Amino acid sequence: MNCRECVEHLYEFLDREVTPDLERDIRRHLEECPPCGEQFDFEAVYLKFLRARCRAQGAPPELKRRLLQELFGE
Amino acid sequence: MTTPSQTPPPSPVPVDEKRESFEREALVHLDALYRVALRLTGNASDADDLVQETMLKAYRAWDQYEKGTNAKGWLLTILRHAFINEYRRRTRHPENVDLDTIEPFAVFGEIQEEDPQGAFFDRIVDDEVLRAIDDLPEAFRETLVLSDVEGLSYQEIAKVLEIPVGTVKSRLFRARQLLQARLYDYAVSMGYIKGSPA
Repeated sequence: MNCRECVEHLYEFLDREVTPDLERDIRRHLEECPPCGEQFDFEAVYLKFLRARCRAQGAPPELKRRLLQELFGE
Repeated sequence: MTTPSQTPPPSPVPVDEKRESFEREALVHLDALYRVALRLTGNASDADDLVQETMLKAYRAWDQYEKGTNAKGWLLTILRHAFINEYRRRTRHPENVDLDTIEPFAVFGEIQEEDPQGAFFDRIVDDEVLRAIDDLPEAFRETLVLSDVEGLSYQEIAKVLEIPVGTVKSRLFRARQLLQARLYDYAVSMGYIKGSPA
């Protein structure tokens, strides 16, 4: 596996969406190629940041109250 | 003249049971539906209406949902259809973005000397991230939101968006890269990082 092929599967790998064979090939490449390893680490930080920033928001209590009223009349 | 039947109308599921299973399997996803609705419509008032409509439709169709399967995916599919049918036209301008013309931009290549650990991300506040997501082309935005905000698998996203898994992969890749490039530009403009001279 070369660097281009490895980076192509960057997010699939970080999302745990690769087959076991592909995962093994990527891990092997990352061990042998520090620049790709750094890039994967950087992207992992980015995804973690995105998730942390976006998941906090929830539905307003008023919406929930209105919904229960509409659904069950209470 | 016929007399009214004394038998009650057919009711496959007792009301209490229906309500109980709906609360347990559907209402627990209210926050998720709201977050997706907010990113799709772009404003809180339409997001409220879209979520309410989705839940009312879902409750009416609850007998068709196979209990114990993927309620979140099922609800998101209903929400997306409602959005396409009723909200898209009036809440956002129609987009004619050719996704293939969006140039990939490798932020890591620009920043690997200055900030290879991506410390600059920590300085970007929530509102700025959400604004940048809202500015993505819709096809990118909905894919990214289902993955990064809601944590759906590629297979689940493919089902909700009715596209092949391969398309999910390529959209997600480009959506994340585009968003990252915009956040990088923002961080440079705010002086969080020096960046490379234009």
